[in-house]
Amino acid sequence: MSPLGLIALGAGIAVLCGAGAAIGMGIATGRASEAIARQPEAFGKINSSLLFGLILMETCAIYALLVSILLIFVLGAKV
Amino acid sequence: MNVEVNIKPVPFEIFGVDVGQSVVIAWGVLAVVIVLLALTNVYIRKRFSEKPKGLQMVLEMIIGGLENWAKGYVGESASFLAPMTLTLMVYVFSESIIELFGLPAVTGDINCALALGLTCFITVNVTGIKARGLGGRLAGLCHPKAFMLPIRLLTDLITPFSMAIRLFSNILVGTVIMEIIYNLVPILLPAAFSSFFTVFEIGIQVFVIGLLSLVYTSEAVE
Repeated sequence: MSPLGLIALGAGIAVLCGAGAAIGMGIATGRASEAIARQPEAFGKINSSLLFGLILMETCAIYALLVSILLIFVLGAKV
Repeated sequence: MNVEVNIKPVPFEIFGVDVGQSVVIAWGVLAVVIVLLALTNVYIRKRFSEKPKGLQMVLEMIIGGLENWAKGYVGESASFLAPMTLTLMVYVFSESIIELFGLPAVTGDINCALALGLTCFITVNVTGIKARGLGGRLAGLCHPKAFMLPIRLLTDLITPFSMAIRLFSNILVGTVIMEIIYNLVPILLPAAFSSFFTVFEIGIQVFVIGLLSLVYTSEAVE
């Protein structure tokens, strides 16, 4: 297989990490919605915890996207 | 399709010293922001009244809201932490929003992102040491059990790099996507999409960097 093809394959596999991040964010948001429905006066604290968790999960997905971009633009330009 | 994205910093020479193109653009943006704030201070602040309306109400909402937000996290250190957080957020916002004007975003340069990450790291640790002393800060790291010290030390040391790469990657991803859209459909679509990709991403990153700075400081001060 050509090096360019392998680079493209690697970049595609790298972004699959976004699936895990999206599933995790969905579970977190669902649990947070349940907690708010159970106790609506605690909305502020639940919201803060949820946002903090979402930020950390999104960071993992963005790391994966950064690896993919570096593969395509930096390694792909050399080949 | 020819997409050109600068991932490495672009060099720029001033009197033989290589400062980098992003630093020069940052000087320009900072000059504009400082002149705007100085003009507001000199001309508009005189006309402040007891009952705020218009621009005064917006400013009071922003600054008061941020102080309350910071007090919820750090308590008494909020007197000097809230202005620092607001400065950081205004800096990140103004250096990234120039992307809408055609200039390359300064926070898309890894040097700027690393500098901001180190600034947050120094702020968090200085606030923690001021509040609890050096021994207290280290003792706070052993908080659940004593053998957690190396794990928590590693997490704390990796924090500035994590913040830097988070900011840099988000802005870079926005730039790449906008370049691709601009190459495909140059006419109406980039404006519509940039309202989502660029402005929304920048808003989220501004909020995230303020929130994370406050949360890490609250962990250090406890």
